[in-house]
Amino acid sequence: MLETRNLDKSFGAVHVTRDVSLKLERGERRVILGPNGAGKTTLFNQLVGELTPDSGTVNLAGEDVTALPVAKRARQGLSRSYQKNTLFDGLTVEENLGLAAAIHTGNATTLWSDSLGKAEVREIVKDVANQVDLMPFLHAKVSQISYGVRRQLEVGVALATRPLVLLMDEPTSGVGPEMAKGFHDLLNNLPRDLTLLIIEHDMDLAFDVADTITVLNYGEVVFDGLPDAARGSDLLKEIYLGSWEDA
Amino acid sequence: MFHHTPFRYAALVLLASGALFQAFTAQYFGLEILTEILILAMLVLALDMVAGFGGMVSLCHGALMGVGAYGYAVLSTTAGLTPPVAMAAAVGITAGISWVIGAICSRSHGIYFIMATLAFGQMAYSYVFEAPIFGGDDGLGGIERLDLSFIGVDLNDTRTFALFCLVTLAAMYGLAVMILRSGLGRSFSGVMHNEQRMRALGLTVWRIKADVFGLSGMIAGVAGVLAAQHIMYISPGLMAWTVSGEALVVVILGGLGTLVGPLVGAAVFVVLKHELSSLTTYWHLIVGVILIGVVMSRANGIFGFIENSFAARSKTTEINPKAMEVTKDA
Repeated sequence: MLETRNLDKSFGAVHVTRDVSLKLERGERRVILGPNGAGKTTLFNQLVGELTPDSGTVNLAGEDVTALPVAKRARQGLSRSYQKNTLFDGLTVEENLGLAAAIHTGNATTLWSDSLGKAEVREIVKDVANQVDLMPFLHAKVSQISYGVRRQLEVGVALATRPLVLLMDEPTSGVGPEMAKGFHDLLNNLPRDLTLLIIEHDMDLAFDVADTITVLNYGEVVFDGLPDAARGSDLLKEIYLGSWEDA
Repeated sequence: MFHHTPFRYAALVLLASGALFQAFTAQYFGLEILTEILILAMLVLALDMVAGFGGMVSLCHGALMGVGAYGYAVLSTTAGLTPPVAMAAAVGITAGISWVIGAICSRSHGIYFIMATLAFGQMAYSYVFEAPIFGGDDGLGGIERLDLSFIGVDLNDTRTFALFCLVTLAAMYGLAVMILRSGLGRSFSGVMHNEQRMRALGLTVWRIKADVFGLSGMIAGVAGVLAAQHIMYISPGLMAWTVSGEALVVVILGGLGTLVGPLVGAAVFVVLKHELSSLTTYWHLIVGVILIGVVMSRANGIFGFIENSFAARSKTTEINPKAMEVTKDA
């Protein structure tokens, strides 16, 4: 479904991703682990087109999308949520989801009708709001909801484009343990045919949700395999999991 | 995102009633002032659409109005087209030019967008000022008004022309509402709130900006056509950057991003201009002081201030009706 081959990116003398090759099958849930500065978010930015790789390719559903701009990749089914909330702050939760759903349904550019009032848009809004537990907040403005609910909305907005592949950059970033547990359920309840690629520091969530785990260190893939193998890897303990094992 | 509250509907009814009353009762000078207000209102309506709902603070809308005015003047006089055809063509040309400007400037933001639009406006002004086909700095005269005599309407009558401008303004307001409530308008508003996210969701942002800027320019073009028919003479002064600056002042004075506010701003500005200029040649200073007061009050213009006061009053009454009764009795 999503494949990268030899992705390389440098900022000046700093080599941020080195020869990164990944292959995600349809419906696969992969978690990317790695210490701060490992190049995880830079990899995401190259996948969605916000950064252009120096070399390498990105394939989505069998098509090379490396040269495509962000919007075109999104329309082909690649959606993302951000580590820092990137929402429409002055608008309601319903409007946030509606804008995304309108783009997916082709109502975002029509001059003859209100996109947010369209039946197909409302259906997606309702469906996504149920999926990410936002029904009670639909008419609240983003400024009126808690940080945790905003994180849910962050994922909801990405989901409202009905993607083939959803990239989530630290979905539980900044939320408490109770809410993080809620995210486990939320992610586990997403449609099984949706391909997920998640950057996460919460090890419990990573091992709970992941079918496969990839570990990046200094921009390189140093581990790619099943969660059980990741737990037993000495290399991982050394570069990343030591603190988790000790805890 | 654009929403029409009952208060705004009420304000519109009040404004329309006031304009109609003026149109039916005023004498020549009053009708001229009313027409000036209505044409300015159309221009600031166009500007509020892009600045208030899309963050595209344009300093070329005066020039776009000028394109409409000159387009109509040249097509109806030099090219010999009938006024209806010349009107349609001038408005279409203005929309097209606006679309191109919107597309080119769509990647810039804030001060850079303002400067880019200012540059386009000044280019148009300089060209018109020098080009013989546009009459150079002498301008163009002999412009005819639309002939509606076949339905018994004489637009050469000052009162009838004022009413025609009022009807056109109402139509343009309806068009602006339709655009802002459409999928295009909703997306445009989304881009103002978070351009990066809209792009990440799959929207071709530059196209949305260009489309709405083009439609806004179309409304400015209609204002230009009416301005040309109103005075029956046009000069490059119509395209000077100060016209765009004045339009921006009026939008802020009335209430940015409210659509109704700029109409209030246009009325206040034109009345102040005529009243104060009869008292002093330094009337701009007084308007400047008022504008500073409005901006410093952070109430989103005159209309914003009234709307907020009304909302706060309604809220207090809703929360504690008895307290309001006590205040009233006291």
